[in-house]
Amino acid sequence: MERIISLRVNKEDYKVMVRPGESLLDVLRNRLGMTGTKECCNEGDCGACTVIMGGRAVNACLVLAVEAEGEEILTVEGLARGSALHPLQEAFIKCGGFQCGFCTPGMLMSAKALLDENIDPTEDEIRRGISGNLCRCTGYVKIIDSIKEAASVMRQGESDE
Amino acid sequence: MSKSNYSVIGKRVGNVDGVEKVTGGAKYTVDMVLPNMLHGKILRSPHPHARILNIDTRRAEQLPGVKIVLTAKDTLGRKNGIWRNFRDLCDEEILCREKVRYVGDAVAALAATDLETAEKALDLIDVEYELLPAAFDPLDALHDGMPHIHEDFERNMNVYRQIEWGDVEEAFSQCDHIREDTFYCSSQAHGCLEPHCALASFSHDGKLTVWTSTQSAYYTQLLLSDMTGLREGDIKVIKPHVGGGFGSKLSLDSAQYCAALLSMKLTRPVKIVLTRAEEFGATKRRTAIHYKVKLGAMKDGTLVARKVQAITEGGAYTAMGGTALYLTGFFSSFPYKFDHYQYDGFRVYTNNETASACRGFGAPQANFVSESQIDMMAEDLGIDPIELRIKNAITPNHEIPGQATIRSCELRQCLEAIDKWIKERGPLPPNHGIGVSAYGFMSGGIFNWIDTPYAFSSALVKINVDGKVDLFIGANEIGQGSNTTLSMICAEELGVRLEDITLHTGDTSVCPVDLGAWGSRQTLMSGNAVKMAALEAKKQLLEVAFHTLKPNVVYDLDIKDRRVHLAERPRRGISYFDVVKDAIRGKEGQAIIGRGHYTPHGKGMISPAYSFGVQAVEVKVDRQTGKVELKKIVTAHECGQVINPIGLEGQVEGASVMAAGWALTEELKSRNGKILNGDFRDYKMLLAEDVPEMILIEVDSYEPEGPYGAKEAGEGLTVPGAGAIANAVYNAVGVRITQMPLSAEKILQALEEKKRTQKEVDPFEAVA
Amino acid sequence: MYLKCPVCKKEWNASLKVARHIFGNGDKAHRAWVNSQGVSFTDLLIRQATGSGNQGFMVLAKIVESSQDGTSGVAG
Ligand code: FES
Ligand code: FES
Ligand SMILES: [Zn+2]
Repeated sequence: MERIISLRVNKEDYKVMVRPGESLLDVLRNRLGMTGTKECCNEGDCGACTVIMGGRAVNACLVLAVEAEGEEILTVEGLARGSALHPLQEAFIKCGGFQCGFCTPGMLMSAKALLDENIDPTEDEIRRGISGNLCRCTGYVKIIDSIKEAASVMRQGESDE
Repeated sequence: MSKSNYSVIGKRVGNVDGVEKVTGGAKYTVDMVLPNMLHGKILRSPHPHARILNIDTRRAEQLPGVKIVLTAKDTLGRKNGIWRNFRDLCDEEILCREKVRYVGDAVAALAATDLETAEKALDLIDVEYELLPAAFDPLDALHDGMPHIHEDFERNMNVYRQIEWGDVEEAFSQCDHIREDTFYCSSQAHGCLEPHCALASFSHDGKLTVWTSTQSAYYTQLLLSDMTGLREGDIKVIKPHVGGGFGSKLSLDSAQYCAALLSMKLTRPVKIVLTRAEEFGATKRRTAIHYKVKLGAMKDGTLVARKVQAITEGGAYTAMGGTALYLTGFFSSFPYKFDHYQYDGFRVYTNNETASACRGFGAPQANFVSESQIDMMAEDLGIDPIELRIKNAITPNHEIPGQATIRSCELRQCLEAIDKWIKERGPLPPNHGIGVSAYGFMSGGIFNWIDTPYAFSSALVKINVDGKVDLFIGANEIGQGSNTTLSMICAEELGVRLEDITLHTGDTSVCPVDLGAWGSRQTLMSGNAVKMAALEAKKQLLEVAFHTLKPNVVYDLDIKDRRVHLAERPRRGISYFDVVKDAIRGKEGQAIIGRGHYTPHGKGMISPAYSFGVQAVEVKVDRQTGKVELKKIVTAHECGQVINPIGLEGQVEGASVMAAGWALTEELKSRNGKILNGDFRDYKMLLAEDVPEMILIEVDSYEPEGPYGAKEAGEGLTVPGAGAIANAVYNAVGVRITQMPLSAEKILQALEEKKRTQKEVDPFEAVA
Repeated sequence: MYLKCPVCKKEWNASLKVARHIFGNGDKAHRAWVNSQGVSFTDLLIRQATGSGNQGFMVLAKIVESSQDGTSGVAG
């Protein structure tokens, strides 16, 4: 039966009613109204629903909402800091890392998880990092460029600090 | 005007929808929710061909939460199709009355308070079918005694089209060398990440609003009007952001129609989102085609005549398959000058999912066939394949009798650029090969299949007192970047900055009519409309500025970067903002409005302009597994003046990868009409890891018909990939694959076959 | 020698071309004329599609030739 769980999404706490089989994706989109995270295949095959949970990129359609209880969850809506875009977001705009934009939230989150681990990835590492994310529009070239660009901006930022 | 004079177009600007799209703020139809909204579901046929004897909806209706169940009985019984002036080709009821014609055909639609209930209710609809024999292969379906899929179409012959000029039979008798080959091009799923979906809301005042993921809000409005009996003006179609189209979101689809019907009966909002399985099995797909091609040439490499016959696998309905049939015929002559050409195309109904428009629209199929054969011919004649292409390439101002006049064309330069790249690449490692394919594509179709008296594209520009410009366009952004490109054209023409433009788009009740995103038409057609509207508004400003700046004639004035100035003496000028205020005062306080429109006239059968290019693909073939690894994709292309470079490159790259996927791994497998790999796990689209280095070589060109000399780019790059890859595989390991896709199994098989025949040949050679 | 389309009277220099025109046009009048000649329009079209050479269209070309003397009925 339905029960109330507490979720921590983008540094805010929510109490939500969920059914036992309900996925984190459904809860984000339908119960919390956070539609930035996309639903595309619902079977873990496309990566459009990627969010970061406990520091790892996961397919939110495969995660049960109840499993997400107590975890730190980051979605695309939580990527910018106030009105300042995240370097990845800036880079995707600058380099044209999207077209229809439907894969973009998932791409950004996979890229973020990658760069959180490794701020200086090789091109192959970038390709592998987003190999769970389908994009039908871009042919990936500009997505890879965007991630490279963001990494270099972020490295720059770190060395400035 | 020289390029350097442009202040907006040609610049590497960020996409105007960028911030929304990277922050998760961009709303797509799948994200939309309305108060009091119901969820709809569609019951689909599990049979490829069956008569509907009875549909009992009572058990479903009794399930708590279910509000209504509709079947064909509840419709006007009309048939839908996009070729509205050929009524017999409007053959899709969407909700089937008497028969189902493919696995996935819709038989009932229902709405419930939540999705789970709606899904459960589907199982409670009892449909009694009488199974009918079915036909899956177009070559079988034509035979006498095969089941009739549509009663009025004898032996399942749906459409026949022919194209010809010159006299092929006569010409072949003069040729030094003739090749006859057969080819097969496989189908492809569009694979949009956002599924087909619609949210319909019918109000008590008799007005219908539909939010939907569409490539043409205007087509959706017209086709919904046909099917529901509502006046066009009582239907408002709103297109939020769209998660990909690729040709799939052009016809009226089951989500749009059923959501509208359900909402009309209930006077409540109803949303339908197709599942991924429905996306694969119950929408449309690329046309699979069987070809026979005869090519005649002279010893010196002059191509003389080509004769092409195509039998296309139509699937259950016509949709836009007739256009694919025509275009594959036209583009089978491309991009060469043939004095003699003949095409016969036969579209055949089968009990499979309908084949219709898919990015490239028949041209990728034509190109795979013809560019494979050009390489085969070059080898026969002992001529370098690029040299052969250069010798026969279309040149500027070439007329194709009765079909097209090609104005700008820098194909030769593209061929030379690729030749140079290949030479610089030097010798390749073992099992590597480079293949080349030359192509051309249209800049917007001339076909008025929907039969509308409106202009093909129109735009409205309104300049407000603060200098901000409202641009109203009916053009459909679906990811291809038209919002950015058209805003750039507007800003350039008015002499303002990109951030001065506020775009209003995607709402048929506000935006002027545009036929939408298909056939690569938005840059040229919508671009011309926007340019005209901006120019009309600009003239009104210049009339006012004339009195202050006092040039000899008003044409001596121009606006650049928010300054109105003498064209020859840019320093003598006044602020755009001041002129706008004056102009509005002078017009009794009315905003400045400019209107623009574009419809091609007298531009042949296909398109007002054509783009050309050449692609070279380097592959490595694994002889143990047959697997093809893409190493490099190099494209030299010409698309007129580049408006939006980032958008352009992205289109080229994306289209190239979609083509490579089609050639190599994307095979829609089916058995008895049922798709076997209808999910992203088993239907293999290319991933980031599969994509090689891409090199783009832009060759300058100028198209007089396009805005600032621009023409299409992007869709055209779905055209050369398969042919280039097939040629590369041949050059790498010596096997010629003529039946798509170029799967690892097929290549391995061909390699083994080759080994066997070589062994058989060897002893003979030893004796000789 | 010029051969006429028995339906719309357009002229070509070979009967096969007239036959191609008749199939290419394919409107009611042209279909009806073919079917009135004791052959089936669709059947010939399919023979053309599935056979080799110009099998289907040649049959009609022969009929066109014999129709030139005006002995055959002209529909439409
Ligand atoms: S929606 Fe979760 S992986 Fe596709
Ligand atoms: S941008 Fe459209 S799917 Fe990636
Ligand atoms: Zn005639």
